[in-house]
Amino acid sequence: MPSPETRVGQPLISLRDVHLSFGSNRVLKGIDLDVQRGQAVSIIGPSGSGKSTILRCITGLLPTERGSIRVGDTDVHALKSEAQRIELRKRVGFVFQQYNLFPHLSVLENLVIAPRKVLGETATNAEKHARELLAKVRMEHKADAYPGQLSGGQQQRVAIARALAMRPELILFDEVTSALDPETVGEVLTVIRELTEEGMTCVLVTHEMRFAEDISDVVYFTENGLIVEHGSPEHIFQRPTNERTQTFLRHALGDAGRRPVASGDPFLLSNISRYSLSV
Amino acid sequence: MTDLLELFVQAAAKFGLNYGFLLDAYQRGSLVNGAITTIALCAFTIVGSLLAGLALAAMLTSGRPWFARPARVFIEVTRNTPTLVQLYCAFLVLNMLLTQAVGAANPLTPFAWVVIVISLHKGAFHAEALRAGIEAVPRVTLEAASSLAFSRRQLLWNVQLPLAMRFALPSLINNLIDLVKMTAVASAIAVGDITYASIMIWTQSDNVLELMILLLAFFGLLSFVVNCVGRALEAKLRMPGYGH
Amino acid sequence: MAIDSPVSLPLGWPRRHPGKLVLLAAVLLWLVFGAPKSPVFAALREWSPALAAGFGQNILISLLAIAIGSVLGLLVGALAVSPLWITRLPAKIWVQVFRNAPWLVLIYFTTYVFPFELHIGKSWISFPDWVKVTLGLALPASANVAEIFRGAIGSIPSTQWEAARSLAFTRAQIFRSIILPQCFKRMLPPWMNLYAVITMGTALASLVGVHDLIDTAQIASNTVNRTGFTVLIYFSVLALFFAYCYPISRFTQFLERRYAFS
Repeated sequence: MPSPETRVGQPLISLRDVHLSFGSNRVLKGIDLDVQRGQAVSIIGPSGSGKSTILRCITGLLPTERGSIRVGDTDVHALKSEAQRIELRKRVGFVFQQYNLFPHLSVLENLVIAPRKVLGETATNAEKHARELLAKVRMEHKADAYPGQLSGGQQQRVAIARALAMRPELILFDEVTSALDPETVGEVLTVIRELTEEGMTCVLVTHEMRFAEDISDVVYFTENGLIVEHGSPEHIFQRPTNERTQTFLRHALGDAGRRPVASGDPFLLSNISRYSLSV
Repeated sequence: MTDLLELFVQAAAKFGLNYGFLLDAYQRGSLVNGAITTIALCAFTIVGSLLAGLALAAMLTSGRPWFARPARVFIEVTRNTPTLVQLYCAFLVLNMLLTQAVGAANPLTPFAWVVIVISLHKGAFHAEALRAGIEAVPRVTLEAASSLAFSRRQLLWNVQLPLAMRFALPSLINNLIDLVKMTAVASAIAVGDITYASIMIWTQSDNVLELMILLLAFFGLLSFVVNCVGRALEAKLRMPGYGH
Repeated sequence: MAIDSPVSLPLGWPRRHPGKLVLLAAVLLWLVFGAPKSPVFAALREWSPALAAGFGQNILISLLAIAIGSVLGLLVGALAVSPLWITRLPAKIWVQVFRNAPWLVLIYFTTYVFPFELHIGKSWISFPDWVKVTLGLALPASANVAEIFRGAIGSIPSTQWEAARSLAFTRAQIFRSIILPQCFKRMLPPWMNLYAVITMGTALASLVGVHDLIDTAQIASNTVNRTGFTVLIYFSVLALFFAYCYPISRFTQFLERRYAFS
């Protein structure tokens, strides 16, 4: 794996002047961003500054309005059909804030289903690979458990393994520790750190400033849908030049920016069955 | 068998209940036939209602107004009118028109009409439950499946429907228990179900209370069986950690 | 998780559905001015007072049944949530029996098993068939009201009990001033739904010889004895029930959605 310093080739991901609005709400107002192969890139910034939106645009979950997004040789902004986007997503892993494991499948089945159905791997191969990945995230003892039986940190590690099961070229991490209990944050960060050390290309949206400083090759600071400043972690965290970055970091380094999860358990069934009586 | 029956009749007599008609082969036979008819009616309508419900739910969630609108109108009309009136509209009106059109070749018996009407009626309720189940699948879970490069069809069959099914199951089982009770309405158009058989017996021998207890026990048993099968299915499909 | 449905709030609906309103007005105009030439519609107009009286009977039965059923059901429900098993058991049996019995069978039960008249003191109170049907509908209604009540109590978060207990309320005080007020709000939508179902259940009254809407329709159909009239009258019955029950159902949904967010 070539180290990021020596190789100055074409970046693996490159965003140029990306715009996106939801209705009248302009979320991205011209994002430029480059990720070299093997780099770990962090995107930091206040809530609602469009960080997660950038990740969703990269993997084609959200369409862009203007500008270009390139991942490897694929022009994401020009993808027309769902089939083309599916081809892209085979190469790009995504880990969500809310883990989003499939609650009706066991841990092992969560890892096996996409390689089998999407990539067409054989059951034996997919399962062998899945067990290796579970060992890697130290969850091999929970292979037959169901997501609902695991802690948040455990679910998130399984979610990372699920993304890895597709053998992606890069992984996008969307605030993966924001919904976790403080005591389980560490176990998830350790897994991500190991991935970056192995040379996996990672893009992280995070509120864990210390962690971002520690593992990143490049840090981007976004605010109001714009990249305010980017550079090496030392530059951003020790000698930020922009006044906004300085203000944000002064406040953000105090706490990890964890915010409460909006709706709690999305599978809580309270009011689904309407009174079904009839005559 | 007959000995057991006699013992039961004697025991009931001590409580002042006259179950003597059970010893009469003809009356017992008509009751047993009625019970079999009711069970057949339940079996046909359970399958029919689930099929109708699936079709209506597919129309509702198709996102195409040309499918969703008629399904919505049908469901609202069905939910807000009595089954008996629906049965009359089908059997006394549509069946009459059909007979006028094709004469004696009309293939639909009263039994078939009851199956059709109750299937469609309960299908409307199933469709609502299924639609709610489909809509209850969190958007983020679908997004996760998309990020794993699932196609729309793979997403539907591997994630959306299995989850929707689990969310809808408690409502579906309630609907089916209600359906079992509803089959009693078949007696209104002289389908020989157990209610009709009982009416025929009590108009002759004035033992309403005894037959009534028998009827309630029979429907209680049927509901119980449906309930047990439903709970077993729910337990089998339960997602550990998401108890309710 | 809120369940969205394509139905909209009742507020401002005339402006949102101009097409439907125009269509409705056109149909009404045609019924009043265009239809009388046809003998079928003339017969329907002739029979409409009888049909209205029949439907009045249905509504009377439904109102009485929900009233009796609610009072009885709240009593049974109160027993069902009591801490003593000796009072809980009969309540549970009551609910189980009358929820799982077909309504038609219960109506036969009250019609044929209850006496024609009741001797109270020196006076005889006679029981016409429609009163018996009312009682037959009140029985399952009470079981359902009891379940609705129990469900509403159960849906109050246990933290409310803890909070009230920490303020040194007694059990009775908690019920009266904390739990019940929250319950009644939650009970309203299912209770209205139950009322709509009972109204539809009154259709069964015709099977035991009560002169209700359906009985009238059958008599009319047999008397006039025209194919077109038979079609028209049964679908009119359907439309009448729909016109009565659909607004209730819409209002129920409206309440459900409003309470879901508060």
